[in-house]
Amino acid sequence: MSLVIDSVSKNFGEVQALYDVSLEIKPGEVFGFLGANGAGKTTAMRIVLDILRPDSGTVAWNGRLNTEVSRDTWGYLPEERGLYAKMKVIDQLTFFGKLHGVKPKKAEQETRDWLERFRIPEYADKRAEQLSKGNQQKIQFIAAILHDPQVLLMDEPFTGLDPVNVALLKEAFLEMKDRGKTLIFSTHQMETVQELCQSIAILDRGRVVVGGTVRDVRRSSGRQMVRIAVDGDPEIAWLATIDGVRVSRRGQDYTEAEVASGHDPELVLQEALGRRCRILHFEITDPSLEEIFIEHVGQIDTSERTLAPKAVYA
Amino acid sequence: MTGWRTLFPNAWYISVREFRSRASSRSFVIGTVLLAILAFAATQAPVLIDKVAGGSQTRIEVVDLASGLPSDAPTVLDQSLNGTATSGSSLLGGYALSWLAGGQLSAAQQDLQGGKFDALLIVDRDPASSDLVFTLRTDMPADGRQAQTIGNAVYSLAIEDRLARAGTSTAAVLAPAKWSVLPVSLSGTATTNNINQELSSSLLSTGLVVLIFMAIITYGTWVAMSVAEEKGSRVMELMLNATTPLQMLAGKVIGNGAAGLTQYGAILGAVLVGLLVQGPIHRAVLGGSDSGPAVSGLTVPLVASFMVLFALGFLLYSLLYAALGSLVSRQEDVQSATSPLMMLVMVGYFMSIVAIQSVTDTWVVVLSYVPFFSPYLMLARVAGGHVQLWEFGLAVVFMLAAIAVALFLAARIYSAGVLLYGQRVGLRQVLKAARVSR
Repeated sequence: MSLVIDSVSKNFGEVQALYDVSLEIKPGEVFGFLGANGAGKTTAMRIVLDILRPDSGTVAWNGRLNTEVSRDTWGYLPEERGLYAKMKVIDQLTFFGKLHGVKPKKAEQETRDWLERFRIPEYADKRAEQLSKGNQQKIQFIAAILHDPQVLLMDEPFTGLDPVNVALLKEAFLEMKDRGKTLIFSTHQMETVQELCQSIAILDRGRVVVGGTVRDVRRSSGRQMVRIAVDGDPEIAWLATIDGVRVSRRGQDYTEAEVASGHDPELVLQEALGRRCRILHFEITDPSLEEIFIEHVGQIDTSERTLAPKAVYA
Repeated sequence: MTGWRTLFPNAWYISVREFRSRASSRSFVIGTVLLAILAFAATQAPVLIDKVAGGSQTRIEVVDLASGLPSDAPTVLDQSLNGTATSGSSLLGGYALSWLAGGQLSAAQQDLQGGKFDALLIVDRDPASSDLVFTLRTDMPADGRQAQTIGNAVYSLAIEDRLARAGTSTAAVLAPAKWSVLPVSLSGTATTNNINQELSSSLLSTGLVVLIFMAIITYGTWVAMSVAEEKGSRVMELMLNATTPLQMLAGKVIGNGAAGLTQYGAILGAVLVGLLVQGPIHRAVLGGSDSGPAVSGLTVPLVASFMVLFALGFLLYSLLYAALGSLVSRQEDVQSATSPLMMLVMVGYFMSIVAIQSVTDTWVVVLSYVPFFSPYLMLARVAGGHVQLWEFGLAVVFMLAAIAVALFLAARIYSAGVLLYGQRVGLRQVLKAARVSR
C-alpha cells in the first residue's frame, strides 16, 4: 500500500535525466523532492503520472502499475502554470472536472466552495487572463484536486506566491493530508520542507543522493550542530580550538558550530563551563536540511527555472 | 499505446470546449459575418453591374421601313447588341432599342435632334436585291466602338433575314450536332456528354475542388493553431494528466472542424440565398425579367461524393496539422512548421486543376487513389462522370486506412511533441521521443 518507484531510468538524448531512482512513498505521507535545477524532479513526477515513459524501471501504486491505474488517481499541479486565458474560471474548472469524470453540478459546487475558502469567490465568472498570477495558481490547485485524487503531485507549488497566498496554500495542503491524501511536491524552499514533509529525497543530476524521513536525513551525516551564546563574548574564539568542532555561523543571537561525527557535542558545554562562561543559550541539534542539501549537492541555485526539459536539454 | 482509455466522453468534452472557444472568439464572429456578406454581395455583382451599366445606356430608335422583317428581328438585334441572357450582360453599358413603325420617321428625326436618343437606325429593303439596307444617323464616330457594335448587330439581322427568306433560321442552323463517344469495346454504353455539359462540369468541379482546398488550408491551420496555443499557454500539462493524447487529438480535430464547417455553412448559405434572390432583386432594381444563373450539373451523386471526400480529406489533413502544431512552442511558429503540409495541399490542388481537363488520363486515375490527393482528383473524376462506384469506394477505403495511420502517427508525435519545449524541434528529436512516449 504505497507508491513504489522501482529503479527508474530516463534519458533525453545524451542527457541522463534519471538514473536508477528507487523510492517508496507511504500513503497519507507528505513527501518532498529536493534538488537543484535539472536534477530530475519534474521528470520523476511526469513518469509517476505516466505522462512520460521511463527507459527502464516501473512505478506502482498500491501494487498496480501506474500504466494500469486510473488517471483519476492523480492530481497534478505542473510547475508551468497555464489556464485557458479566455475561459471563465468556473467553466474551466468544470471542464477539467468533467474530464476526470466529475459531474458538472458537483464540480461547480466544489469549485465555489474552494474559491470561498481561498477568499476569491467573486472570481468565478472572471476570465483567467484577468486574474493575478497568485490567483491563477489557486485556480490550478483547485483544478488539480477537484476530482478528489488519492495522490497529489505538485511541482514547485509555492514559487511566485506572496506570503499570504503561501499560507493559504499550505492550509489547503494540510487539509488534503487530513483527508488521507498522499502529497508529493518539489521545492527549493527548505523551510517549507522541514515544516511540512515527513519524508524527502534529494536528487542530484538524476540520482537520489539521500532519502528517507526528514529526521533520518538530517542525522544521515552523523554530524551535530551546537548553538551557543555566552555573556560578554560574542566571538567565542575558543570554540575552534576544540577537537572536531568547526564554527559554521557567527550571529548576533548565537554562534553555530558543527561537531564532526564521532565527537560528543557535550564537550562544548563542558569547555564553556570550564571557562566559567555565563551561558545564555545552548542547543544541540541535527544539521538543517539546507546544510545536508549543500553537503550533497553544492550551492542551492534559487534562480527561476524555465522548463524542465529545456533545462535537461541545455 | 497501453494506458489509452476509451475516446469518449473526454474527446467529446474537448471538442465542445474547442468549438465554443473558437466560435465565441471575436475573430470568428466578425470573420464569418464579413465573409458571408462578401459572398452574398458577390452573387449580386451581376445586378450591380447591370445597374451601373444601365446609367450609360446608348439609346437607339429603330424605324422599320422594310416590309417582311423576320418576326424575331427585335430579339436578334437586342441580343447581338446586349448579349444573350446566358452569356451575361455586357460590362460596358448596354443598348436600349425602341422600335417605331415606318410612318413615324419624321417624329423620330425630331426626337433625335431633341437629344432624346443617341442614334436613329433606319431599316429599309433594297428593291433590287431584296436585301436589307441600314442607315445610322448619329454623332458618334463612324469608326468608334459603338458604331462598330451596331454594325455587327445589323449584320446579324441581315443574315437572319436572308435565312428567313431561304426558309430557315439561325437557331436551326446553329443547333448542336448529335454526337456520342463510345468505348472501344462494342458492348459498352455510351457516355453522352455533349460539349456544353463537359464545360460546365469542369467549371463545377473546379469550384468544388477550390472549396475543399480552402477548407483544408484554413481550418487545418486552425487545428494547428489551437494545439500550439494550448502548448504555449502551458495548459497542456494540466490536460496531459486529465486526458490522453488520442482524446485531445480527436477533440481538437472534431471541435475545430465543426467550427470550420459552421463558418463554411454560413458562407455557402449566403451564396445559396444570394443566387436564389438574384432574380427577384434584379427585377426589383432594374425591372424586366432576368433569370439568375441556374446551378446546373449538381447531381446527388456529385454532392454526396463531395461531402464524403470533404470530410475524409479534412480529417486526414487536420490530424497532420495537429501533429505539426504540437512541435512548436509559440503560435507564431505555426506557419513555418506547417509549410510542408501546405505544399502537399497545394500540389494536390494544382494537379487537380490540370487534371480537370483530362480526367481520364492514367496519371489522374492512379493519383486519385493516393489518399492525400483523392479529395481533389477523385472529385474531379466524379464531376467528369468517369467513375465507377467501386473506384470511388476504393479511394474511400484507402483514405480511411490513411486516416487510421495518421491518427496513430499523429498521436505519437503529439504526445512527444507537446512536452518538447525549445526553439525549434527537429524531426529526429520527435521520432526519438515518440518511440518512448506512451
